[in-house]
Amino acid sequence: MKRGYLKSSPHFFRLIKIALAVTVVAVMLLAALVPAPLQDQANLARVPNPVKSAWFLLWIQELVSYSKYLIYLVLALAACFLALPWLSRSAPPQHACWFPRESRGITRAALLSCVLVLSLTLLAMFCRGANWQFVSPF
Amino acid sequence: MIKDFLRHLFPRAVLQRDLTLSYTLCLGGLAFTSLMLLAASGALLLFHYQPTPAAAYPSILLLESSVWGGRYLRSLHRLASHLFLVLIVLHTLRVILTGAYQKPRQLNWLVGCALLLLAVFEGYTGYLLPMDQLALWATQTGMELLHIMPLGGALRAVLVPDGVGEPASLLRFYVLHILMVPGALLFLSGLHFYRIRKNKGVLPYL
Repeated sequence: MKRGYLKSSPHFFRLIKIALAVTVVAVMLLAALVPAPLQDQANLARVPNPVKSAWFLLWIQELVSYSKYLIYLVLALAACFLALPWLSRSAPPQHACWFPRESRGITRAALLSCVLVLSLTLLAMFCRGANWQFVSPF
Repeated sequence: MIKDFLRHLFPRAVLQRDLTLSYTLCLGGLAFTSLMLLAASGALLLFHYQPTPAAAYPSILLLESSVWGGRYLRSLHRLASHLFLVLIVLHTLRVILTGAYQKPRQLNWLVGCALLLLAVFEGYTGYLLPMDQLALWATQTGMELLHIMPLGGALRAVLVPDGVGEPASLLRFYVLHILMVPGALLFLSGLHFYRIRKNKGVLPYL
């Protein structure tokens, strides 16, 4: 074995097993505490107000509520993320590290996008009432 | 055989300093664990769910009221699906913030993006299945969002030929949710793991 290296079995596998066990147990315990909601049977004649999309699409719904053309912003963002390896002009860092200096611009853009998506989701989830009017969450 | 397969999936040796959790936080592995939980709980739900507009909701009611552990099973599936989405997003963010998407890992970055998109689509197709008010109107709104995208109208016509919650659309969502999308997720996950090995390890520059 080369210096500084360890055999994956058992060292690496032990970590994986612990992570797996903790996740499974945590989700199974939480599932007992948080029941899945079930509303009345689907009825096209009864339209709720407001109508909200699935929680992971709420940020897009909030965004297009300002203008439907903002959907192109979502598509542009997706295209930029897809093209990330080709947008970065710097040489790959020599060692694994968080927030590499060479990709500072991309790091900032990614964090900004995350904050934007999270803010729009929370806004749509808690601050939108009937007719998509702004309401206080409190 | 499974043990041998798992041994081949991972490198034989790893750098000791790379075994620190503070680099990857195990997010990708945990997302895959959630996917396995989803597959297990979803497979059990299949024994009770009926994919027709008239029978879907009553089958959920029956599952919750008369099947031992049915309510818990549904909660587990729902919670695991939320966790799967959250973990896969956090994993993507981690990959960006550590620069692990850069060349020579660009192909695996694209595979990861496809996995993220499929995970969202899997969540979306599963949303309709209980056929309660929440399911119907959340799916309907999702379709409206799809409709305003370029080519969204054509995609909508493929997914929902007869209206959200009608027989053909429910059947399509069901088949996509239990067969096509999970199959694609598993295949791409395998490819993702294979590319990690080809790119010399779980962590960059092992």
